[in-house]
Amino acid sequence: MTVVPAETSGGGGGTSGLYDVLELVLDRGLVIDAFVRVSLVGIEILKIDVRVVVASVDTYLRFAEACNRLDLEAGPRKSPGLPEIVGEVTESGARGKSKGALSGAAETISEAFKQGRSEHSEEGEARPRPRKATSSRRREEQE
Amino acid sequence: MSTYVYGIMAASHPSPPEGMAGVGDPPRPVRVLKAGELAAVVSDAPEELRPKRRDLLAHQNVLSEAGAAGCVLPMRFGSVAPDDATVTGVLTERAEHYTERLRALDGKVEYNIKAGHVEEAVLHRVMSENPDIRAQAEANRRAGGGSYDDRLRLGEMVAGAVKAREAEDGAAVVRALTPEAAAVSAGPESTGWLVNASFLVDREAAARFLDAAEQVRRDMPHLELRVNGPLPPYSFVEPGPSEPAASTAGADVGTG
Repeated sequence: MTVVPAETSGGGGGTSGLYDVLELVLDRGLVIDAFVRVSLVGIEILKIDVRVVVASVDTYLRFAEACNRLDLEAGPRKSPGLPEIVGEVTESGARGKSKGALSGAAETISEAFKQGRSEHSEEGEARPRPRKATSSRRREEQE
Repeated sequence: MSTYVYGIMAASHPSPPEGMAGVGDPPRPVRVLKAGELAAVVSDAPEELRPKRRDLLAHQNVLSEAGAAGCVLPMRFGSVAPDDATVTGVLTERAEHYTERLRALDGKVEYNIKAGHVEEAVLHRVMSENPDIRAQAEANRRAGGGSYDDRLRLGEMVAGAVKAREAEDGAAVVRALTPEAAAVSAGPESTGWLVNASFLVDREAAARFLDAAEQVRRDMPHLELRVNGPLPPYSFVEPGPSEPAASTAGADVGTG
């Protein structure tokens, strides 16, 4: 069972919130002009990586595809934070059920692929997880 | 030998554990330099300091450890003084300022809040709210997905609606949590979240703040909310013109 902690302790334990904390370490905090700030190569990359370009053709097509998959009749999911199984129970009819399961599986695969790609490039440097992984993080919480 | 500085605290503040691991490989042991009423948590500075995950974590861990015993003004990562004497010199010279900051932040911790949309849930939401999007999606679906231009048109409409929701939801999150905080500061920019804000919270009131965050989770199930804390008050050490940034918090919406 994987649990993404909603709250990391001050001890900096879990790695899930690592980036959230590191950006503050890098970007906030006291700066004293009598001290030198070490030149930190790599930080610009860290900032650019995390940008999500909403207004791009790729995003448009991804959204369009996702909307085609959405089952309008099922209505907005009341509680996306709840386990998948609960979501399925609230869907009406066998059609909704099987459809949900199918698209769910497709999503999982494509997300695993995306994640694999993004983690592949991760070396020793601190790197944020791209926001695209939002729903896969959610899935981790559910399992 | 240059000196790496982690943070500033009161001289009466309990020292971090003897030989605690600081930045560098091998980790340089952490020590405390005192000057009058103030003290600095320092270690020797490694020759070539880079923003390695390990070093960033060491910086954060030293501050967390020291901060558990009371207020520490956290330095930004990578602050290096030529020597110990420069550090104690700065403490002496600006004692009044740092003492004031320590007093102002005493008993307070930072919580950083980030939120993103749960994609499927937010798409559902914008579709249910917007008849035009619904009509276009339905038309595309009937046409077996629609032409490239159709899909692009739908996607653009959806992206616009999602962006608008990002702005609204980001502001709503900040609005919901601000009453439980002593101050609010917009998080570092260009991080791609619909909201990235830090809240200065009284240690005693932390439970109430976390309850409020839980309430946001319940009220806005289409958001994924990340709560990080308690942290050293990174975003509140300098009372510069941009802080407290209550007015700009939540402005870090969208990504453009």
